[in-house]
Amino acid sequence: MVGSIILTLALAFSIISMVMYFLNYRGYKNTLNYGRIAYHGMAVLVIAASVYLWYAILTHQYQYQYIYSYSNNSLRNLGVFHLASSFWGGQEGSFMLWLLMTAVVGIILQSYASKRGDLEPRVMAVFTLATSFLLVMVSPWFKNPFEYIWTDPHGVFVKIEHLNSQLFNLPFIQQFFFTDQSSNQGFIKIDPDFVSHLRQAGYSLNQFIIDGKGLNPQLLNFWMQIHPPILFAGFSMATVPFAFAIAALMKNDYRDWVKQAFPWMLAGMGVLGLGIMLGGYWAYEMLGWGGYWAWDPVENSSLIPWLVGVASIHTLLVQKKTQAKGGIGKYAKTNLMLGVLTYVFVLYSTFLTRSGVLGDASVHSFVDPGMFVYLFLVLFIGTFTLLGLGMIAYRWKTLSENIKDDEGLLSRELALFTAMIVLIASATIVLVGTSAPIFGKSVDTFFYNEMHLPLAIIIMFLNGISLLIKWQKSDLNELIRKSTYAGIGAILFTVLLVIFGGVSEIMMIILSLTTAFSLFVNIDIAIKIVRGNFKMLGAYVAHIGIALFILGVIGSAVYSEEMTVDLEKGKSVSAFGYDMTFTDSYPVENNTKFAFEVDVKKGSSQYNVTPKMYRSDFNNSIVREPAILTLLTKDIYFSPLGYDPGGETQNQHSHNHIKLEKGTSTEFDGAQISFIRFNMAPETMQLMSEGKDFQMGAVLEIEKDGNKTEIELLRKQTDGKVEFTSHESEDMNLKIDLENLSAGVIEIALSTLDGSENNTENTTTISNETLSVTASIKPFVSLVWVGVLIMVFGFFISMTRRLKDSKIVS
Amino acid sequence: MKNKYIFGGVIIVVFLGLMMYLFTQSNIEYVDDFNKVMSTEKTVKATGSWVKEKNYNLDNQNKTFSFFMTDEQGNQMKVIYEGSIPNNFESATSVVVTGKYQNGYFHAKDILTKCPSKYEEKTANSSL
Repeated sequence: MVGSIILTLALAFSIISMVMYFLNYRGYKNTLNYGRIAYHGMAVLVIAASVYLWYAILTHQYQYQYIYSYSNNSLRNLGVFHLASSFWGGQEGSFMLWLLMTAVVGIILQSYASKRGDLEPRVMAVFTLATSFLLVMVSPWFKNPFEYIWTDPHGVFVKIEHLNSQLFNLPFIQQFFFTDQSSNQGFIKIDPDFVSHLRQAGYSLNQFIIDGKGLNPQLLNFWMQIHPPILFAGFSMATVPFAFAIAALMKNDYRDWVKQAFPWMLAGMGVLGLGIMLGGYWAYEMLGWGGYWAWDPVENSSLIPWLVGVASIHTLLVQKKTQAKGGIGKYAKTNLMLGVLTYVFVLYSTFLTRSGVLGDASVHSFVDPGMFVYLFLVLFIGTFTLLGLGMIAYRWKTLSENIKDDEGLLSRELALFTAMIVLIASATIVLVGTSAPIFGKSVDTFFYNEMHLPLAIIIMFLNGISLLIKWQKSDLNELIRKSTYAGIGAILFTVLLVIFGGVSEIMMIILSLTTAFSLFVNIDIAIKIVRGNFKMLGAYVAHIGIALFILGVIGSAVYSEEMTVDLEKGKSVSAFGYDMTFTDSYPVENNTKFAFEVDVKKGSSQYNVTPKMYRSDFNNSIVREPAILTLLTKDIYFSPLGYDPGGETQNQHSHNHIKLEKGTSTEFDGAQISFIRFNMAPETMQLMSEGKDFQMGAVLEIEKDGNKTEIELLRKQTDGKVEFTSHESEDMNLKIDLENLSAGVIEIALSTLDGSENNTENTTTISNETLSVTASIKPFVSLVWVGVLIMVFGFFISMTRRLKDSKIVS
Repeated sequence: MKNKYIFGGVIIVVFLGLMMYLFTQSNIEYVDDFNKVMSTEKTVKATGSWVKEKNYNLDNQNKTFSFFMTDEQGNQMKVIYEGSIPNNFESATSVVVTGKYQNGYFHAKDILTKCPSKYEEKTANSSL
């Protein structure tokens, strides 16, 4: 109740703030203060609601549907921050997180805008439109995190394990008790009727529901605590350039907006870029497939606004520079459009992730949220797209004022413009591929890789060249002279790469060449600058970062190798030039997981890795945690495949050992044995997944001397041990042992009872404890992370410089 | 000045053309009817669920993982995936496999598994 009220109040304040600011823009004098107070009121209420949600999570208030669904008591054992991260475990909470970030960003924005002339009312009027939409999203009508578990009149079935059994003797409980026949799982149906009975008996729902469902185990790690907040912070910051663009269009004044919006675009893209990278690192470190980017539609949808925003940084620079000639500067329309589109694509990303349109295309896509939410998302993205593009169309004439177009072909202006074009091309590629599933189509990942390869080559070359080209125009000879050192360095680097790195594909060679060229140009200039003014370093640091990133991608994605290794305990196996030995296995983390120790040796260096596996109760499957050995020039990635505990088995190994597929038959000693079908009771699957005892049968038909019988052989699993049954028939002088039963196939051993047709040997097989892993080499993958971090650092250096520039000289 | 626009225009046309071409080359359709899957030569994304009664099989020799899938009409087919079992396979309900149906099996080069929705509460038979 409290939470919902706070959020509804916040929505009211947001709308009031928006109206007040808009009126102030229109000239009503005293509205500015009301706008400010209303905004801060809203922000305080949003922070209060978020604090309350965290409080409710930390005190396990399971009467809230959201808290019941995404947290549980055992999360506390992992630490307070893990428990707290269930705040954004589901849709409602992630909207709350986005709202919280946006509200806080707005506080900073309001202060920033208030010091810059008449900017505040225009910018805040647009900004509060965004916060209002978000507040509607988390309001009681849509995805409210404070909805009670019994709000649905049909009720909700809660497992009895999550309930306080001491209250089960209350008289009315029986009429709400249900059992699922197939699984024998008991439930209590909690609906408004139940809650009123409970209240009359003097108990609160909080006292009755004592545990929750919890989070998917793949979310129980450090990255869950930082990737979503940083990503949403980036999304929130993307709201600002949009607001600045509309503000400029409202006033029809485009000179100041460039330097005012610039630091925000830089900071926003820096944060968003960092957030995206953290998602990739999470996938690499935890998920076990050895990669960090799957071109999954949800991953892609966060990349698109980033590419658009970064593209605009380049043309904003041109607009700023060309304003010196008088007028609004070049590419004003472009910059306004890109500023609008950056936020529109953030909204599009939200739409793709949450509306369910991606359905089968993405591991991330969630359930269909319902018609109303879907329509509201469409309304959200539609409103902002129309507002943005509509305003630009409205002001088209003023924006098309004549600007002297006298730059030469070899000018930095043109190079930056081309950079923007290439980045937009990249965004378009990702957009087309990502949106394809909406139309029932999909693209193979090679679509992205093939298209990006030439683009990456062009970008790297352009980057190197553009820093050597001067503004306005350059002399070709002079340009060639200036690129000599970097050019030679790049060629040398590439030659070394071909000789020692085994790089032989022509496209990779060209990419390495251009990337190295860009790297050396940037380093060269950076060194010169460092001696002077540190703040000017931003762009060069950022480009060094991206060059290193591309080198890392080339190494790890293109030149990685993998192999499956079966490691018998104690026996060393050689792979990739390293000696690997599986030495020990033991339970860890409170007996919840099984860790396997592997020693890795090469020459005098010795290392130790510990991949883990465990059975998760959450979704009844085996979870595999990889172990990564990070060395100087590569990572060795260990993904556990399987584990055979080994042991001694006595086999009476008959040479009459047959594999039979369902529907086939075999002959033995005058008898025809046919494998008719499997026999498995419906509850077997459930028993299997719960780790309980179960059995599966194979029905065989035996025909001998005109007699037909049907028999069933069983594979029994008791307490984790497997047992197979056999059938003996004196009449037919036949013994059939079931030796194995798996997908579609059984293995049987046939023998005669009088020993006449038998070729048996008694064997004792000892299989050793064996760990199977997929080991892969990932050359230079560290550059992927380091590159992005350096790039983000560069963004922030630039931001500090542009922040200074943004102050109006009034 | 006009030259720049022609130059830019040509580049855009070439780019778009290349993209459309590559898109059609890498286009993979979603197919939920296994009869269609089994009768085509093309690479497709077959959607369905896996048949839990027919257990899955891990072949360590060939490093493959095989299981059976069924579509909504009840058509079944065997799937062989060149790789290891996906992390959450045992609890997966719907599965999307990318590949081609050949020689009696669906050769999958990619698997996507989806878990049942968290909100799926069982509507139980009432019993006391």
